[in-house]
Amino acid sequence: MSAARLGDLAAVVRSKNAGAFLLTLDVMFDDEALYRRVRDAGVLTPRSIAALYGVSDNEVAVIAYDPARAIKVTMPRGVASGDPGDADVYGAQQHAPLLDLPVPET
Amino acid sequence: MAPGSVHLLAASGQLGYGFTVEALRRALAGGVHAIGCDGGSMDPGPYYLGSGEAFVSETALRRDLALLLEAGASAGVPLLVGSAGGGGGVPHVEHVCALVREIAREQGLRRRLAVIHAEPSRDLVEERLRAGRVHPLGPVPAIDAGDVRRAHRIVAMMGVEPFQRAVEAGADVVIAGRSSDAAIFAAPALARGADPGLAWHLAKIVECGAQVIEPRTGQDCVVGHIHDDHFLVEPGHPDKRCTRRRVAAHTLYETPDPVRITEPGGVLDVSGATFEQADERTVRVAGSRFEKAPRYTVKLEGVEHIGHRMAFLAGVRDPDLVRGIDGFLDDARDRVAEQAAALGIDAADYDLRVRVYGRDAVMGAREPERGALPHEVGLLAEVVAPDEAAARAVIARARYVLLHTDFPGRKCISGNLAIPFSPSDLSLGPAYRFSVWHTMELDDPHEAFPVAFEDVGR
Repeated sequence: MSAARLGDLAAVVRSKNAGAFLLTLDVMFDDEALYRRVRDAGVLTPRSIAALYGVSDNEVAVIAYDPARAIKVTMPRGVASGDPGDADVYGAQQHAPLLDLPVPET
Repeated sequence: MAPGSVHLLAASGQLGYGFTVEALRRALAGGVHAIGCDGGSMDPGPYYLGSGEAFVSETALRRDLALLLEAGASAGVPLLVGSAGGGGGVPHVEHVCALVREIAREQGLRRRLAVIHAEPSRDLVEERLRAGRVHPLGPVPAIDAGDVRRAHRIVAMMGVEPFQRAVEAGADVVIAGRSSDAAIFAAPALARGADPGLAWHLAKIVECGAQVIEPRTGQDCVVGHIHDDHFLVEPGHPDKRCTRRRVAAHTLYETPDPVRITEPGGVLDVSGATFEQADERTVRVAGSRFEKAPRYTVKLEGVEHIGHRMAFLAGVRDPDLVRGIDGFLDDARDRVAEQAAALGIDAADYDLRVRVYGRDAVMGAREPERGALPHEVGLLAEVVAPDEAAARAVIARARYVLLHTDFPGRKCISGNLAIPFSPSDLSLGPAYRFSVWHTMELDDPHEAFPVAFEDVGR
């Protein structure tokens, strides 16, 4: 079976600061079955996120939150918000690499 | 209003972001116990905390405040504003208080104003640091007493207690410095005996105003109703609706952990929460819990002044220059250093960066797309130097070097850059960085947050 893109399955794929030193990415689903499929497929793991963002997998936390059909990914920011060299003070445009992640059929 | 229930109005996601008069009127007509509005955030970065400036316009602040002061007076309920003026420091709070005094006079209202400042004394922060009662919040560099002394401004984030003290003492209007966004709304709910889990969760949902409303067309009022074993959240505006998706999504907004949300004095645990669409415009939430923490801690946010920032923007359309941009920028950096040295400015004393928009400016080293060559790129050059004169000197040299230096195969010998503005060099003012991002233990929830009262208007 061919893999779908995460961006085609999720209703929300967003990034934002969680404070000035952490970045948090939320992937959310309208459909319970789709949510479970992605949650259980091992698509979003510390290792997959670390590879995609070039960070160390022990810096990445991935937590599913069933009541919101959401998977949250948290990692350190590259530099603190607004420090010299920061390009995204709100951290609002760091989500795009997630859109292309392949999600296997169950 | 149902007996035993608490009804709260969140006017907007932020004072100055606006709301519709229609939503405000409709929300008040239903009856509320308090009107709250978050006034700030650290999201816009360290500059606003450092400079003391608001990040909304005074025109917008005045408009929102005028409507809310009048609404509070006519409904006979307190108006609570937290993180006033954006950063919630002394100049931010004073700015908003000055507007309140002016508007109350203009409106002919007599109001009891409580002002709560949130800049703890450096002595207190140093004493707690020495006692091992200041803790880093996340992956934050360690600080010492020198960092505390050097900080340009440090604010502490208050919990519900200072708001409650102000209202109990008779305040009609509370203008508070840096506050937990949720505390603004949890304060009146808890004072009326609401369940702590429901009170804090509702507060977290409504503090960003229309973030939980569809269609999302700007900011607007949200109303929360806390009952015995659940709460309801609905938009003020009759043509809008709260949706399960937005409300559930907002529970984990800007938090590192979706399940446990730390607040002054405890942790909101939403692992057992349920979200239901109660009707077309209302969402019902139940099952949230609040765990009291063994020690009362507040968040500290502080910034250090690091110099003056200048920048310029330019486009590059020449294909050879786009192709060789990295080598060109490396060479340019060395030339700028030589020329700055000739002006008596050491390269070690300034920080010059050039971002390449169209390629990897947004994600930097984390950008996974590295293949395609764009047909044009935008350059954003930025320098932070110890003072404005040095920053102006370096940015002007950088502009000249980028504009007029040869590169391999150069045919565009009259200039390498499309510069969109005259003047080309933009002064971004004093530059700051977050240097304190910690929690501090308090002996008493009021310790860093003095409440002062005054009568305003006539």
